[in-house]
Amino acid sequence: MQLQTSGEVSGSKLLSVNNLYNNYAAMLLGYIFEVVKNRGIAEQYLIAVFNDVPNQIEEFYKPGVNAFCRLQSMARKKLAGYVETTNDNSAPDAVQNNVFIVKNKFIQQMTPDQQLVFCGAHWHGKPISKIAAELQKTEDEIRRLLKECFTIIRAAK
Amino acid sequence: MRVEDYIESGILETFVMGAASDDETKELMFMKARFPEVDEALQQLELDMELLARNMAITPPPNTWGKIEQEINDIILRDKTNPEKFTQKQRGNDDFNQSKQYNNGHQYIEVEAESSHMKIHKNWKWVLAGIFVLGKIFLACAIYFYLENRQAQQQLQELKTELKQLKK
Repeated sequence: MQLQTSGEVSGSKLLSVNNLYNNYAAMLLGYIFEVVKNRGIAEQYLIAVFNDVPNQIEEFYKPGVNAFCRLQSMARKKLAGYVETTNDNSAPDAVQNNVFIVKNKFIQQMTPDQQLVFCGAHWHGKPISKIAAELQKTEDEIRRLLKECFTIIRAAK
Repeated sequence: MRVEDYIESGILETFVMGAASDDETKELMFMKARFPEVDEALQQLELDMELLARNMAITPPPNTWGKIEQEINDIILRDKTNPEKFTQKQRGNDDFNQSKQYNNGHQYIEVEAESSHMKIHKNWKWVLAGIFVLGKIFLACAIYFYLENRQAQQQLQELKTELKQLKK
């Protein structure tokens, strides 16, 4: 009886992970790909993230939890080491030359500073303090720029 | 600080992007629980993040889910066949206290599983049988040629003896 119950739990866990995979794997792969810029590596990170989901599955069902943001947060933690080892400092130069860091309809509407702040935080996992130091701005200014980025995304729906 | 000012400060955006400090996160959790406006604004930002991600989605290769499923099934199987937990009460040994701590917090006795046997592929059975048969054939040939040679030597000796007698 206990084994059967355990099997049911395991089965439902797998089903829950499958459900999350069907809904968010493509979005998460797109996010990871923009960080690592390599399809093979991105897929490996995607697999690693979903392999960890069964251990935290209860977190996904807590009230008010956005499943995609939770997955993205897990991916960010996994990618932290990768981002540290492949620190790309070419973004500021690219932005100054009107080359968009990420080819996306939302990003293309942002100013160079907004792009550096948004891409730095979102894809490169940089803390606000680091971005502020890099751009020689205050942390409040960085937060304001970040807020403007979200206004652009919302307006461009 | 007024709730509206808090929402406008950009801290919510910082949190959604995973760039908030621990103190900011604690404060936000408090504000979220206390003010529904903060919760609502946070949910809206999370939907914005989903929108951005949906716009940049890449469909994974068809075999990706199979790999994940296989790995999860292995983990589940490993959990089911977990070795029995060893409690320190069974042995108050200092050596044991230094034994390896695993992620799930359980402690296990390290068992050296070194076998004196080795495993080989089944196809080696035919190779070994072939070597055995060839060995037998070579042995039979060696005996045959040894006897032939001995007989030839005897005949040669006899011929030499006959030749000597004829010369006399």
